[in-house]
Amino acid sequence: MLARREIASLRAEKTIVLALLIQLFVAAFSSFLVVGLVSLYDPGSVEGYTVDIGVVGDESSVADLRAAVEETRGLDTRTYDDAAPARAAFDRNELDAVVRAEQTGSRTTVTALVPDSDVRTTLVVVQLRDALRAYERAERAERSEHLSAEPLALPPEGRSSPYYGFTYTVLLPLLLFLPVFIGGSIVVDSVTEERERGTLELLRAAPLSTADIVDGKTLAAAGLAPVQAALWVGLLELNGTSVANLPLVLVLVAALSAVVVTLGAALALVAAERRVAQLSYSLGTLVLFGGTTLHEDGPVGLAARLALGSVGPGATLVVAGYAVAAVVGYAVLRRAVSRVDLG
Amino acid sequence: MSRRDRVARTLQIARWEVSRSADTLDRTTVVVFLVALLAAGTVVATGAVGDGVAPDRDIYRVGVAPDSAYRAPVEDATPLRPVAADPGLVASGRAEVVVADGEVAVADSAKGRAALAAFRSAVREHNLALMGAEANRSAAFPVAVDLRYVSRDAGALAGTGAGSGTTTGGDETDESDGAADEGGDEGDEGGGALAVPDLGAGTAGLFGGSTSGGSPAEISPPFPFASLVLAFAFLVPMNFVVQAYGSTMLEERIGRRGELLLVSPATPGEIVAGKTLPYLGAMVGLVVAVAALVGGGALSVAAVFPIAITFLGATFATAMFARSFKELTFVTVSVSVFLTAYAFVPAIFTNVTPVALISPLTVVVRDLQGGSVSVAEYLFSTGPAYLVGTSLFVLGVGIYREEDLFTQRSVPLKLLDALAARIAGRRSAATLAVLSIPFVLLAELLALALLFALPREAALPVLFVAVAGVEEVAKSLHVYAGLHEGPLGDDRTTRGALVLGGLAGLGFFVGEKLFVVIQAVGLTAVPLGEATAATAGVLPVGVLLVAPLALHVVTASVSALGAVRGPRGYAVGLAAAVTLHAGYNLAVVTSLG
Repeated sequence: MLARREIASLRAEKTIVLALLIQLFVAAFSSFLVVGLVSLYDPGSVEGYTVDIGVVGDESSVADLRAAVEETRGLDTRTYDDAAPARAAFDRNELDAVVRAEQTGSRTTVTALVPDSDVRTTLVVVQLRDALRAYERAERAERSEHLSAEPLALPPEGRSSPYYGFTYTVLLPLLLFLPVFIGGSIVVDSVTEERERGTLELLRAAPLSTADIVDGKTLAAAGLAPVQAALWVGLLELNGTSVANLPLVLVLVAALSAVVVTLGAALALVAAERRVAQLSYSLGTLVLFGGTTLHEDGPVGLAARLALGSVGPGATLVVAGYAVAAVVGYAVLRRAVSRVDLG
Repeated sequence: MSRRDRVARTLQIARWEVSRSADTLDRTTVVVFLVALLAAGTVVATGAVGDGVAPDRDIYRVGVAPDSAYRAPVEDATPLRPVAADPGLVASGRAEVVVADGEVAVADSAKGRAALAAFRSAVREHNLALMGAEANRSAAFPVAVDLRYVSRDAGALAGTGAGSGTTTGGDETDESDGAADEGGDEGDEGGGALAVPDLGAGTAGLFGGSTSGGSPAEISPPFPFASLVLAFAFLVPMNFVVQAYGSTMLEERIGRRGELLLVSPATPGEIVAGKTLPYLGAMVGLVVAVAALVGGGALSVAAVFPIAITFLGATFATAMFARSFKELTFVTVSVSVFLTAYAFVPAIFTNVTPVALISPLTVVVRDLQGGSVSVAEYLFSTGPAYLVGTSLFVLGVGIYREEDLFTQRSVPLKLLDALAARIAGRRSAATLAVLSIPFVLLAELLALALLFALPREAALPVLFVAVAGVEEVAKSLHVYAGLHEGPLGDDRTTRGALVLGGLAGLGFFVGEKLFVVIQAVGLTAVPLGEATAATAGVLPVGVLLVAPLALHVVTASVSALGAVRGPRGYAVGLAAAVTLHAGYNLAVVTSLG
C-alpha cells in the first residue's frame, strides 16, 4: 500500500517522466559523442570519400610508398616530380595531404603535410597513418635479416562498426544502471523528506511497523529499475542491437537495484540530514560501480558480456551471487530497522 | 546601513553555515566514510589482480593454442579472452575468432567482425612492443615520419590575422583557433617550405599533434582526447558540491526553518550570499586542486569559475522552485546534465573550429594543450556563463521572501512567480527582455553545438525553428508572468498587450545589438555561426536594421496578445510568433545566400 503511495507521488511530481527524459538525453548525448567523434576519423563512416595524397621524393622510396598506399582502402596517390607543384595543388584543395619520402642513411624519412583546422584533418591523418604503417611493415620485411624476432603477420582486416563495442560496453550498462542509481537516490530523498518534515511519526501512528515503511519505500524504488531496463533493452532491440541472456541481465539489474536501494535507505536512516545522506550515497555508489569495474565480475563488465553472449554457464552462478547478496543485505537492513527506534 | 554591516552579516551567515555543516559532518560521516573506505578497499583489493578499470574486459573470445605465437597478444589484450583453438567453437557460437593451422576462422556476424578488429589491433600492439625491444633500430623502425599541420591559405593574406595568435612550440594544431578564419595567420611553419625539417615539435604525443621523426605507429590524430578527459575532471566534483548546496537551501524552506534568518536584520540578498559563500569557496578550492592535479594553470581556473557560478545559480533557483527533495534531485540532475553537455560538446571541436570557444571548457582544453586565449576570446566563452549564473541568483533572491519560501507550487508556477517578482511596471517588459539575452545565447549555442554534426542542409532548418522558439519564449514569458502573476494585471487588454509586446520586442532588439557589438570584438566567420548571427539580426546593410526591430516588435506583440487570454491563448500566440519568426529567418538567409 505504501509502495503504491510512493509510486503515485512520483507520478504526481512528474519526476519519473523527467527521469526518463534525463536517461534518454544522456544516452542520446553519449551516442552523439561517439557517432560524432567516429565520423571525424573513421573512413568507413564517410562513404565514397577518398583521401588524395600527393607523393614526391626519390624514385625508389616513392615506388615503395605507392605500393603500400595502394593496399590501403580509400586512398589515392598522385606522383609529383617536385615539391612546389604538389604544394600548390594542396593549397588549391586538390590534394588532402602531401608526402615526401627520402632515403636518409638506412632509413626512409617521410615528411607529411596535412591541412590544419579542417573537419577532415583527423580522417586524413588516420588514413595516412594506416598507409604509412603498411609502408613500415613492407620496409621492415625487407630488413628482416637484421631483426632478432620476426613480427607476427597481422590477421586480415575486417569491416567492423566502430560503435559495436561501445554500444555493449558503455551505452547498455549506462542505460541499465542509471535507473538503479536514480532509484537509490529516490529512496534517500523520500526517507529523509519524511524525517525532516516529521511525517515519519505520522506514518508510524498508522498501523504500520517501521519495517513496513522501509519495505514500501524500497519496494517502489527498487522495482522501477528493472522495468526501465527492460524498456531500454526493447528500444535497443528496435534499433537493431540484440541483447542476449535477457532474463539474466534483468535479474542482475534487479539485484543491484535492491543493493543500491538498501544502501540508500540505510544511509538516509543513519544520516542526520539529506545533505549528508545524498553525498555519502553518491560517493558510495560511485565506489560501488567504479570500484567493481576493476573486478572481472563487476556488474558493468558482466552486463556487457551477458548482453554480448560472451559468457559461459558460470555467469548464471555469478548473477545468482548478486541476487543472494541483495536479499541478505535487505534482510539485514530490515532486522536493524525493526530494532532501532526512528526519531 | 553601512556596507560594513552588510558584509559582516553576510560573513556571519557564512560562518553559521560552515559550523552547522561541520556539526552534521562529524556525527555520521565519520562512520559512513569508514564504511565506504572499507568497501572501496575490499573492492580494489579483490580487483587488483585485474588490469585496471575496463568495462570491455573479455568481451570477445579468441581460440588460440597455448603454444601459438598469437597466444601472447590475445592474453595481453583486455577485451580478448583466449579459449581452445578448436574451429568448431566458431560454428557453435562459443568463440568469435579461432586461429588454427595458420587459418583464421571468424564468426560471420557483427560481433565476429568487431572481435577480428580487436584481435588485429592486439597483434599490432604486440608487434610494436616486439620491435621496441630490437637492438637494430633502423631495421625495427625503418620509416621516420614528420607530420606537420599547415594552413592551406598560408601566405595569401599574411599579416591581417594579427592578434589571434596562439602558436606554441611545434604543436601547430593550436593554430586552428580563429587564425585560419581571420585571414591566414602564417604560424611558424614557414610558408610551405617542404624541405625544411621541423625541429620544433615538442609537445606532441599526449595531446595529439605533430609527430617528428617517429614511427608511423606513433602518429596520433589531432583529437584532444586526453585534454578533454582532464577537462571533464573539473566538472565531476562540482556535482557533489551542488548536491549539498541544493539540500541546504531547500532545508531552509522545510518547516519554516528559514524564518529566523528572514526576520533578522539581514536582507534576503545577504542571507543567500552568506549561505552560498562556503559552497563557492569549496568549488574554487576543488577547481584549484583539480587544476594542480591535471596540470592546468590560472587560465583553467579562470575558465571553470563561471561554470561553477552557473552550477550554483541554477541549483539555487531550483531549490527555490522545488517542492520536495525528489523534485530538487531531478531538476538538479537535469540541469547538470544540460550544463555538462553545453560545456563538453563544443570543447570536442577545440582544434577544428573557433566556434568551439562558446564553451569555457574549450579554454581549459587549450590551456592544457599549452595554448593561450585573448581577453576577447575569454570574455566570449565565459560571458554568457557569468551572466546566466548571476541572473539565476537574481531571479531566486526575488522569491526569497516569506510568502514564496514556505509555499508549495509547481516548478513552472514558481518560475512565473520569480519572473513576476522582478517586474516593476511596463518598463520591466523591456529590461527583462534585455536580460534574457545570455539565456537565449546559451540555449542557441547549445542547439548550434548539437546540430553541428548534422549535414548543413538538415541542420539549418532545424536551427531556424529552434532559434525562433527560444527567442520568442524569451520575449514573452515574462510578459505572461507579469500579466497573470504580477503587477501588470490591468494590462490584460489588446492595447496593453500591444504596448507590452512592443516594449519586449524593443528590449530584445537592444540586447541583441549589444551582443553583436561583443561578437564583433570576439569572433565571427564560421559558416553556421554566420547563419545564426544573420538570423539574430546581424545584417550588413544599415537600412535593414529596421527589419529585425519590426520583426521582434510584431512577434512579441502576437504572443503578448495571446498571453492576455490565458495559458491556452498564450500557447496559440507563441506558436504563431515562432512560425512567423522562423519564416522570417528562412527568408533572410535565402535572400542573403
